[in-house]
Amino acid sequence: MSLIAEFPPTSFVYAERIEDHDPPPAWLVALIKRARGLVLPLLLAAAWHWASSIDASTAYALVPLDQVWERLLQLLSTGELAINAGSSLGRALTGLALGGVSGILLGSLMAGFPLVERLFGPLLQAFRQVPLLGWLPLVGLWLGSGEEAKQLLVAVAAFHPLLLNSYEGFAQAEKKHLEVGRVLMLSRWRSFRFILLPTALPSILTGVGQALAFAWISTIGVELLFGTGAGLGSLMHTAQMAGDMGVVLLCVISIGLMGYGLNLILSLVRARLLRWRVTG
Amino acid sequence: MMRSTLQQRLLPLLVPGLILATWLAATSGDDFTAQVLVPPVAVLDSFNELLASGELTDHLRASLSRLLLGFGIGSGLGLGFGILLARSALVNDFAGPFFQAVRQVPSIAFLPMLILLLGVDEGFKLAIVAKAAFFPVALATHDAVKGISKGWLEVAAIYRLSPLRVLFRLILPATVPPVLTGLRLGLTRAWIVLVAAELMAAENGIGQMMEMGRQMFRIDTVMVGVALTGLIGFALDQGVRLAERRLVRWKAV
Repeated sequence: MSLIAEFPPTSFVYAERIEDHDPPPAWLVALIKRARGLVLPLLLAAAWHWASSIDASTAYALVPLDQVWERLLQLLSTGELAINAGSSLGRALTGLALGGVSGILLGSLMAGFPLVERLFGPLLQAFRQVPLLGWLPLVGLWLGSGEEAKQLLVAVAAFHPLLLNSYEGFAQAEKKHLEVGRVLMLSRWRSFRFILLPTALPSILTGVGQALAFAWISTIGVELLFGTGAGLGSLMHTAQMAGDMGVVLLCVISIGLMGYGLNLILSLVRARLLRWRVTG
Repeated sequence: MMRSTLQQRLLPLLVPGLILATWLAATSGDDFTAQVLVPPVAVLDSFNELLASGELTDHLRASLSRLLLGFGIGSGLGLGFGILLARSALVNDFAGPFFQAVRQVPSIAFLPMLILLLGVDEGFKLAIVAKAAFFPVALATHDAVKGISKGWLEVAAIYRLSPLRVLFRLILPATVPPVLTGLRLGLTRAWIVLVAAELMAAENGIGQMMEMGRQMFRIDTVMVGVALTGLIGFALDQGVRLAERRLVRWKAV
């Protein structure tokens, strides 16, 4: 073995460099990469804080950050944030349950019976075109701006995605699988439980994800636009009327965090329910 | 045979027909006051009246010009930002996490904040429409540009294609379909949020027309508004879908 092969000319240079600068450990590199993501929000916060200190007119809209912090402590200690967040969450989940269950029921009926599909399909398709909050003035006239009106709108928001996805899911069930079920003389319930449901489940769960997102958005929307009762949207509405940017900002952050959390929980549930599926 | 196809055709009309009949029957007596339910004819009359007075045209023009301007700004910025986010590791490191965080917040939740910052004039409506359009477009653009396979670019390099040809024969065809989907999503979301913003605070526009109708207990005006909101949303969605089909005709389906 020649010397040249063992020490190619360039290796000296590299060896020297490596001795000069130890490469930073991998975790540090990852940390620095992560930390870069914080720069922009921090800069924005700093700019916000700086702008709020220019004069009284900017301080009105852009409240100083220490004031936001004070507001947060205040909202937490009076329990206002918890009460309103809980109320919104309850409304979204109730709407998801009411609208979702009726959506799945009607969707599976439409997939199973062409007659039902032909009767209701086009009508529902037409109703779906109106943005949910477009119904708000009409529902407001009929039901007032109380709990029924809000709950109805949130339920409708959750209804449509689950109707569509469960319809698609159940319609996908393959004929040959159902025929196997008939050959095995499965009861209606068992063929539903072991053939139809597993086929439709992934699609239904996708629908639940969409329905949850829609229910959450429309909960905030109806609370904000009706501005009555408890809820993060109402809290934000009141704060906007009072010109209280601190509370508005905290509401926006809470809404984002809660939406993210709901989505995260759902994806865990989804992974658990679908763990029998062969992936990849 | 004839009869069965006729039945098939008429079946979907059964339920809407029943609803219409119930509506007519309910309004033929004095069971409902005009503040709660008016006959279908009254809604049609109200539509004609609003159209003849030019009121409706003004509202529509106000809403649609807001939509187009806001959407133009938001989707333009979204396209640019999406490309940057996909192509530059630096932009991705610095702006990516913040982008993902803000994306979690529904557009409608930003309304009060924007009203406090920008007042109740045109500014906040344009801003919220632009925001609603920005995120889906930026995300779709990012995914589309990321989705261009390295292999294709290598093949293009081997063939020594000029940068222009790479752009027109490779990058655009690869990215246009997903970006169009993002644009469609952005447009429909922008419309929903605009209606909500006009319901909250506006001098004109289709949302304001409905909100005034609600306050004056003019259910006929509200119903005209609801129907038009749905029709416009539907037309916008179908319009972009049509463009999608025309632009990706070459794609083997």
